[in-house]
Amino acid sequence: MKKVLYSLLFLSFMVGAPMQSQAQCKSFTKKTCLPHLEPYIYNGQLNSAVLSEGDVAELLLTFYGGQDYRINICSHETLGKIQFQVYDTDKNLLFDNTKNDLTNSWDFKSNSTQQLIVRVIVPKEKNRSEMVQSGCVSILVGFKE
Amino acid sequence: MNWEKLSKYFLALSVLFIGFSSCGNHSADVDDIDDIDDFDELTSLVEDTVHTKKVKKIFYNVPSPIEMANLMQKAGVEYRKDILNPISNKDNYTLIADIALNLGVYGADLSYTRMFDQIQQSVAYLSAIRTLSDALGIPQEAGSSTISKMEDNMDNRDSLLQIITDTYSSADIYLKENDRGNTATLIIVGGWVEALYIATQVSGDNKLIYERIAEQKYALNNLIELIKTYNDESLVEILPKLENLKDVFDGIEITYTRGEVKTDKKTKSTIIESKAEINISKEQINTITEKIEKIRKEIVN
Repeated sequence: MKKVLYSLLFLSFMVGAPMQSQAQCKSFTKKTCLPHLEPYIYNGQLNSAVLSEGDVAELLLTFYGGQDYRINICSHETLGKIQFQVYDTDKNLLFDNTKNDLTNSWDFKSNSTQQLIVRVIVPKEKNRSEMVQSGCVSILVGFKE
Repeated sequence: MNWEKLSKYFLALSVLFIGFSSCGNHSADVDDIDDIDDFDELTSLVEDTVHTKKVKKIFYNVPSPIEMANLMQKAGVEYRKDILNPISNKDNYTLIADIALNLGVYGADLSYTRMFDQIQQSVAYLSAIRTLSDALGIPQEAGSSTISKMEDNMDNRDSLLQIITDTYSSADIYLKENDRGNTATLIIVGGWVEALYIATQVSGDNKLIYERIAEQKYALNNLIELIKTYNDESLVEILPKLENLKDVFDGIEITYTRGEVKTDKKTKSTIIESKAEINISKEQINTITEKIEKIRKEIVN
């Protein structure tokens, strides 16, 4: 009887916890991340997810020529420093934050309009505990008028 | 009461619930990876990185109507009130999909009126947006004071921009927080369609606008991929219409030449010195104009 009840409690947690995490992720983005875009204007589209160590996420977006942009990667501190790269559609690497002090922001302008791929990588920390860390990661884009 | 039996039934129901709740996801998660055409190319980017697995999540964004209105104004187009969706139409929208699509449409119209400092029109559109937001059950956290904020900031274009940005970003976040990403996507679809419609209506012989229209080729591809991540009846209905439009855009040649990437060490700002040559004919512009007008008409009427 006790075993059955404990199982029920565990299952309820397993179902409820991910749903709650996703909602919290979006709230986290709104409260903590959006201010990092200022003075750029947020493009209004939320790109956030709960990711674990070793996970990769990508954003595909058109960036207009002559327009100033900021890409900001915002994440929960449990994940450590997030790596991010920006590629064009020919897979040429345009920016890699591991070569820029692991900055979480990139301000840029392109002379011509092009589709870019923003790739975010949650690193695996070798010295961490055996438990896999998970947390909220957001990719935010802003532009200047 | 036999608690043990009851607990076992509940356990069985919970297992079933977990199974069903893992279906019908709303974005390009691991289960949807097979649907992404360039998956193999994406994974090849990370093959040399030992710490990474295949891409877990892919987000598709399209340029916001604010950005598109800004580009049109920079290109020197005129203001035309007659092409916008009349505010009175808002009372015709009763289905959730129609409300969401036209919330996006009015957002594009508002972005356009704001760029041309049409303050009274902007306030009127914001009021219509508030009505449609209420109909979608989106809380008024940015809304209740929004109309009065606009009236207080009539001469302040930047404040108007902030209000518009807050309104739409709050709506997007709220809908996604509440597992209504499909509704958020309908808003994005409505906004993109209206913005392209406006561009085609004011293009005249403006070659810069022609190029901006041609560049929507990329945004349309992203929009279609975004729609495909949802199993929503209204989105499924609009998809073939956008794919039909895509056929015209696929015929537009855009030749991209990679350039140097230069970073200013002081400002830490980067310039990508790429070049693009766009080849779009008047005929293609006319075809896009006809097709987007048809799609738009079905949304607003």
